[in-house]
Amino acid sequence: MSLRDWPIKQKLTAMLVLISGLVLLLTSAAFAGYQYWSLRQATRDALAVRGRIIAANSTASLAFANDADAREILSALRADPHIVAAVLYDKSGHVFAGYPAGVAGDVVPAVPGPDGYRFERGLLIGFQPVEQSGSQRLGTLYLASDLGAVYDTFRLSGVIGLAVMAVALLAAYLLSMVLQGTISQPILALAETAKAVSTRQDYSVRASKLGADELGALTDAFNQMLGRIEDQKNELQRYAAELEQRVEERTHELQERNESLRRNAAQLLAANTELDAFAYSVSHDLRAPLRSIDGFSQILLEDYAGKLDEAGQESLHRVRAASQRMGTLIDDLLKLARVTRAEIRTEDVDLSGMAQDIVADLQRTTPERQVEFAIAPGLKARGDARLLRVALDNLLRNSWKYTAKQPQPRVQFASVEANGGRAFMVRDNGAGFDMKYADKLFGVFQRLHSAADFEGTGIGLATVRRIITRHGGRIWAEGAVDQGATFYFTL
Amino acid sequence: MALLRLTTALLLVCAARLGAQTGKASETQVKAVFLFNFAQFVDWPPEAVPDSQAPLVIGILGGDPFGDLLDATVRGERRGARPFVVQRYQRVEDITRCDILFISRSVADQPEDILARLKNRPILTVSDADRFAERGGMIRFVTDRSRIRLQINPVAAEAAHLTISSKLLRVAEVITPTGR
Repeated sequence: MSLRDWPIKQKLTAMLVLISGLVLLLTSAAFAGYQYWSLRQATRDALAVRGRIIAANSTASLAFANDADAREILSALRADPHIVAAVLYDKSGHVFAGYPAGVAGDVVPAVPGPDGYRFERGLLIGFQPVEQSGSQRLGTLYLASDLGAVYDTFRLSGVIGLAVMAVALLAAYLLSMVLQGTISQPILALAETAKAVSTRQDYSVRASKLGADELGALTDAFNQMLGRIEDQKNELQRYAAELEQRVEERTHELQERNESLRRNAAQLLAANTELDAFAYSVSHDLRAPLRSIDGFSQILLEDYAGKLDEAGQESLHRVRAASQRMGTLIDDLLKLARVTRAEIRTEDVDLSGMAQDIVADLQRTTPERQVEFAIAPGLKARGDARLLRVALDNLLRNSWKYTAKQPQPRVQFASVEANGGRAFMVRDNGAGFDMKYADKLFGVFQRLHSAADFEGTGIGLATVRRIITRHGGRIWAEGAVDQGATFYFTL
Repeated sequence: MALLRLTTALLLVCAARLGAQTGKASETQVKAVFLFNFAQFVDWPPEAVPDSQAPLVIGILGGDPFGDLLDATVRGERRGARPFVVQRYQRVEDITRCDILFISRSVADQPEDILARLKNRPILTVSDADRFAERGGMIRFVTDRSRIRLQINPVAAEAAHLTISSKLLRVAEVITPTGR
């Protein structure tokens, strides 16, 4: 586990212990260095003092060549186990007396060196002038001491230092264990709270504040944030509930509306069916008396022509014409009703061929009309052939009828691109219509021209629209008065 | 080979004579140095020092055994600001101002007379005469197996108002005069 991932408690403790350890170490090192240096100084000073005392004591021995006395003086150095050698040189630099007895070799220089105390080859050595009355140089004292005293003291203080350091580190560790809590406790409390918030989505918990420091401020801010989140969450929930309720209400409303629409539709359908049935039966039942009126009028005209004057005959002719027109009207109504009731059988239909047949039939029945028909070849569609024939027949017959007063009548049947799809078009250069009545064209019994100008029942275009609508298509018209009319339909 | 042997023999003889001479000269020289060194370990009463620059006189009474050794020893030396001067006397009467007096063996057969004449004068009396210290002298040189030892009579020195350093006493044999 890297240091980065340590728990904050351990981090803080480690930091505190590390810092105090480092401080202790540096202090100890500085102190040890100072102590080592001062110990050496002190040892040197002590040896210098000792040398001065011995030199002062041995002046007479040197002055009066009493080497036994000199040795006795030097032998007092036995009390110091660190003294390696002590030698008195006489005035001319010859060894006069030595300590310990028989000392010689490496540790005793043959001749005295320069005066002074210094460290040499792991030893502390000193050459002390022996003078009487501060003027007369009588000889030189040589002292050599090992550094055992320094090392002994140094070792002792090292042991003490290590012990103190261990105790101090332990104390620092224990103290840091306690003190780190003042920092880590609020952080841990915060972390605990944050965890509770994130795992349980519980925004009602609050971190406990343990002090008024920056962590306390952080805790306050955190708690405030939690409070705000909680408020917002509650508000959101309220909004959501409200929204849900509203959606429910709307849905309910819509359902109700749907329900009523369905009811209306069903009622409408029933009414329509009823109306159709009524229209059919009425139309059907109306024909019988109509036929009687026409038939008996004909009988009157044929059998009783001699008994009727001119005016009577004329009236009977009018009765017959009216009853025949009424018959046509009833036929058309029946056709419209049939279109509504008929079932659609879908098949491929050759619209071009169908148009040719209709045109041929028109030309045969009224050969005196010269109308120019332009029928595009190969127009095909899918639909009910019988119904489509009725629709196409109505449209072509319409055009044929309204071009009657045109010197050069012309009718066109083709397919065009309209509104991003294919549409069939029947166009003529006949009487046309005013566009403001365009939406009235396809209504039942809606007529834009008087029967005197163009005869008709006003049912044809209504029938056409019903057929197109039943095929899922659309029909619309464009035109202008005396400029001709164009009917478009899609299937 | 014979030549080598002869040379060796000659060398040995020479060395032996030289050693004997050196021993003799050395003993006298040591005494001269000791005489000079006494000045360092003895304090004279203030009335004996006319001024701080007055010469410190080492006198020799009787035959001079030192030759110029003593002169050579003290030449250029000082005790504080006082230079050393060597004076030679034939008679006690000649002694005017003297600090250290070496009484030669030639006149020391009867040291009592000389010492009586010098009585109460702040003069450090030194001699190598027999029983000198016992007979009222202050310091005697004793030759012990080619070593010079000191015998000191502190009572005599005290009587002359001289202060002998305890260090000097340490290296000497202290004599307390009997009789008298």
